[in-house]
Amino acid sequence: MLASCLLAQGFMDSPDLSILSFVRVPDEVIRKRLLIDGDGAGDDRKINVLLKSFTKWCNSPGTPEEGFMQYQRMLGTLAQCEFSMGKTLMVYDMNLREMENYEKIYSNIEQNIMSAHEKIAECKKEIQRAKRIRKNRQEYDALAKVIQQHPDRHETLKQLEALDKELQQLSHIKENVDAKLELRKKQFHVLLSTIQELQQTLENDEKSDDDNNQESPAENGE
Amino acid sequence: MGPVELLHMSVFSQSFSPCGRFLAAGNNYGEIAVFSLSAALSPDATAANQKPVLTFTAHEGPVFSLLSTDVHLLSAGNGEISAWSWNELTKKNVKPLWTKRPNYKSSLEIPEINSMIINPRDNSLVVGGGDNNIHIMDLEHGVFKNILQGHSDYIHCVSVRDREAEILSGGEDGAVRMWGDDLVLVLFQSCARPQFGKWISCLTTDSDWMLCGGGPSLSLWHLRSLSPTSIFPLSGCQRQAAFYQDKILAVGEGAFVSHCLLGGEVKAQIPCTPQSLNTLQLNTNSTEHRVLTVGGSSDHIDVFTNLSYRAFSLSF
Repeated sequence: MLASCLLAQGFMDSPDLSILSFVRVPDEVIRKRLLIDGDGAGDDRKINVLLKSFTKWCNSPGTPEEGFMQYQRMLGTLAQCEFSMGKTLMVYDMNLREMENYEKIYSNIEQNIMSAHEKIAECKKEIQRAKRIRKNRQEYDALAKVIQQHPDRHETLKQLEALDKELQQLSHIKENVDAKLELRKKQFHVLLSTIQELQQTLENDEKSDDDNNQESPAENGE
Repeated sequence: MGPVELLHMSVFSQSFSPCGRFLAAGNNYGEIAVFSLSAALSPDATAANQKPVLTFTAHEGPVFSLLSTDVHLLSAGNGEISAWSWNELTKKNVKPLWTKRPNYKSSLEIPEINSMIINPRDNSLVVGGGDNNIHIMDLEHGVFKNILQGHSDYIHCVSVRDREAEILSGGEDGAVRMWGDDLVLVLFQSCARPQFGKWISCLTTDSDWMLCGGGPSLSLWHLRSLSPTSIFPLSGCQRQAAFYQDKILAVGEGAFVSHCLLGGEVKAQIPCTPQSLNTLQLNTNSTEHRVLTVGGSSDHIDVFTNLSYRAFSLSF
């Protein structure tokens, strides 16, 4: 029953014999099927039916009105066939154009992929450069920190100058003191040598006096 | 390698191959494992790709230092340096090219080698170790040509200033020595943390700037003026640090990688699997496998493809 309904609705475009393996189709159905669907399916069937009706109409003995009606019917069927043919042609055109469209999109996407690859390579290079720059900057920062810890050069120079001046002053003073010391030494030397000479002279005088005194008693005693 | 051994494993050193596709890691059992980075980073990597492609025992003692030249992998074990060819290692051939031992004064105790670096100016290998001296070996002729003495305790780390061709060494005695035309000594006051000691375990330089830390806080020094410019408020002792673009990456005690800015602020601390980290390496040899790997007191080595998060872990 199910198989016959399906056949009648034209669900199966081509007699699909595989369903026979599932359902035990009785001979009735096969006969009915051959009767109904014996011409093929769809458009093919329309053309077959047209041919058959044409030959029937050529050989029909009926009234002219009936013949005219059949003729009209045949024209209608013919128009239907032409219509469906036109439709198929348009669908074919559309498919071709869709294909072209897709080809275009495909090549577009390929190009985009290539340019993205290139951009990625460039960005990688950029990153390397940026990393190097960052490393350099960090090195500068580290060195700057160390440099900051040491005092300013101006200050140190000023301190050095002040120290220099002090040093000069002190050496000046030292010179002066040295000179004074020399002078005093010389003066004392002069003084001392004069005193010694005087002492010497006095001693000499004393001795000569003594000699004189010793001589005169010796002369008196004789 | 049983589960108990895996539990007690520490990764002490790492090095990337010159082509950038392999990572060699040395652990405290004296083994070196070679991992294939290209396999682990490929889109269809499986858990098996995170295991080493080759593991071999390189030395008797722990491998504290690994270094890659253009064709060789140099590894330092208990007082000896071995060289392996990267080409041979990728073909799973584990015969060392040569093994040399610096001239130690006393033959009784064999001091360990803590750190090695290549001085590109005269193609020499600078080795610092437990005997308080720095040995310099000429890579072309393979002879030890110089010994720099001066440290009073063992040397933790050495570094080279490329432009001035000076060697910097930091040691347990808390001093950073700069060996160049004239010897300069640097000591720390402002960044000292007496509760941890005065040892310097991490030293890295960028020609004009130097990062050092360990017992004292990690600090950034300007080498021309020898003045500390920034002190980083990181709580643990840092074991390795690196300059990367505009940031500083540091690892040490604490299960995270610290990202710091040159100004002294800690920008981020990215968590990792090992409880404390010993080594940090950036793969600068390859453009497509540009990763950061960290290893520490665990048998897992964390790999970071984007510095902000841990991508996956390689395991021994």
